Amino acid sequence: MASFLKILLRNVLQGPSTDPFPAGETFTPPRLRGKVKLDPERCMGCRICYHTCSAGAINITQHQDGSGYDFTVWHNSCCLCANCRLYCPTKAITLTDNWHSAHEQTEKYTQVEQHFVPFVPCTTCGQPIRPLPADMAKRIYAHDPDVDPEIVRHLCPKCRLLEDAKKHMSPIVKAESASADKEKVADAAPKAATKAAPEKKTTKQT
Amino acid sequence: MSDFLKKLSVRSPWLFRINAGSCNGCDVELATTAFIPRYDVERLGCRYCGSPRHADIVLITGPLTARVKDKVLRVWEEIPNPKITVAVGICAVTCGVFRDGYSIKGPIDRYLPVDVNVPGCPPRPQAIMEAVLIAKKLWMQKLGVEE
Ligand code: SF4
Ligand code: SF4
Ligand code: SF4
Repeated sequence: MASFLKILLRNVLQGPSTDPFPAGETFTPPRLRGKVKLDPERCMGCRICYHTCSAGAINITQHQDGSGYDFTVWHNSCCLCANCRLYCPTKAITLTDNWHSAHEQTEKYTQVEQHFVPFVPCTTCGQPIRPLPADMAKRIYAHDPDVDPEIVRHLCPKCRLLEDAKKHMSPIVKAESASADKEKVADAAPKAATKAAPEKKTTKQT
Repeated sequence: MSDFLKKLSVRSPWLFRINAGSCNGCDVELATTAFIPRYDVERLGCRYCGSPRHADIVLITGPLTARVKDKVLRVWEEIPNPKITVAVGICAVTCGVFRDGYSIKGPIDRYLPVDVNVPGCPPRPQAIMEAVLIAKKLWMQKLGVEE
């Protein structure tokens, strides 16, 4: 009897536990995995999400004219595993907490997240690339005050390497390459001789 | 009089579940939607029935495996018209992670006219409730009664 009264009292105090939905608002847990969303500004087109998607819900199609690519996520195939979010290096693809997925059959083929992501030319060589997200570039080059992340993020990988190589050339190598250049111009000797020349120089300098 | 009866009866469509080879995740969510007081789909006048002949709205889960395909189609045929078919979970909608599997014949809309889809793996109970609401609306339209 006492335990019954205890339960009764608790129930009276707590009120009904039924969620008012659909008549009223419902709760959404903060970490609920809902519809996938892409931030086209951050996407680099690396295709890691495409390869890790367990349901094959992601498609990336290059435009024939090289202007960019179409990024498509089909919500009706997505199993909400969040593999894409985990592996995306730029955190461009995320899962929202939108769980309102019910729809009529006529809308079945419109349940997509689709974006055209355009390529941007590399500021040095003009090759079409996707620029690195600004905050990511800042983080990567945080240790190096000589590098301006705003410039570097608009370079293609090759130009970035060259830029980096120029900056970090040691004085020895700089001198070496300068003298090698001089020799090339001055010397009309056969190839074998010019090849051997830098080796000699290094031994002398060190 | 018959109009009046019709109006009364359409307040409570009965639900029937068919498992077309699902992993049981979606079935657990369906059971949650119905039997846990927090969600309680019976507030909408719906309840699960044990026989397809009593059903109005049929909820199908799973990607329609080769083994159950004929049985699912036979049970579906038993449900009296007008009926509303709801595909619950990405398996039923598109076959989801099992797509192109050797034993998969689905998705079910290849064989049955599906009316409502609710993707998710599994969809949360509230999403299923939304699907049931849409199904109820469509069912009333089919009957020619507006709420
Ligand atoms: S969303 Fe992320 S993982 Fe997918 S292509 Fe874009 S950057 Fe790569
Ligand atoms: S959540 Fe999983 S299934 Fe959905 S798009 Fe991302 S990787 Fe694919
Ligand atoms: S949609 Fe996901 S939870 Fe539902 S039956 Fe398929 S695999 Fe299982």
